Amino acid sequence: MFCPQCGASNADNAAVCVQCGRNLQAVIPVPPIQTPGVVLPPGASMQNYLVFAILATVFCCPATGIPAIIYAAQANGKLQAGDLAGAKAASDNAKLWCWISFGVGIVGTVLYILLIMLGLLSGLHSS
Amino acid sequence: MRIRVQLRKRRVLAAMLLLGTAPIILLRVFDPATSGIFPPCPIRYLTGLYCPGCGSLRAMHALLHGELARAWAMNPLMIVMLPFVTYGLVSAALLELRGNGLPEIMLPAKWIRAFCVVVVLYAVARNLPLYPFDLLAPGAMLHL
Repeated sequence: MFCPQCGASNADNAAVCVQCGRNLQAVIPVPPIQTPGVVLPPGASMQNYLVFAILATVFCCPATGIPAIIYAAQANGKLQAGDLAGAKAASDNAKLWCWISFGVGIVGTVLYILLIMLGLLSGLHSS
Repeated sequence: MRIRVQLRKRRVLAAMLLLGTAPIILLRVFDPATSGIFPPCPIRYLTGLYCPGCGSLRAMHALLHGELARAWAMNPLMIVMLPFVTYGLVSAALLELRGNGLPEIMLPAKWIRAFCVVVVLYAVARNLPLYPFDLLAPGAMLHL
């Protein structure tokens, strides 16, 4: 490894730098830079819920699906910038909006079924 | 502990099989245009407008009957997105079942935002009573 202070080459397990004496054990690792199109190694992957956001937009409710897609974009952007905490927050928001869309879809379906049943009942009543 | 994990996995697998196959069977058997078992889109019902997803079910029904042209006419954007969505869904299912999904392609945030703009423009274009935009309305390309 190289000393982050003076750049001197050191053994990987060195405790202090041979040249400037800086403590090498306390060095904070630099977050890996994510570049577009890069395949993430397993374990480093993060769900951005893009697929579910798209499904929510197409099948449930575009009004709540679009925010989910925007948050999915934000999650990817922050991950690419190395901001893992920000990416996680955006990913959680994307997930939330996906669930909201799903809820709207379910409520709509249930309301539809209720309306049909009401229609059937009133039809029976009037006949 | 291990048994509980196994049981949970089996439940997840069963739920996935149900969620994955039930819509395919329903959409293969029933035509959303005529059968009435699928609820109409509330947006279409209340406003009369075509949303970006309008025609998706009819497109899936056509696709499951091998009618590619009909599927394309019903919702071209959905047909374009279908391979990507399928890949993502399979990946999400594998992630849940065995801990890692298919190789994940990191889409740049710009592309996803651009996709959002495309969806909104698509929604507007489908509702314009103006050639050639009106061809994007569900089924319009069938009457060329």
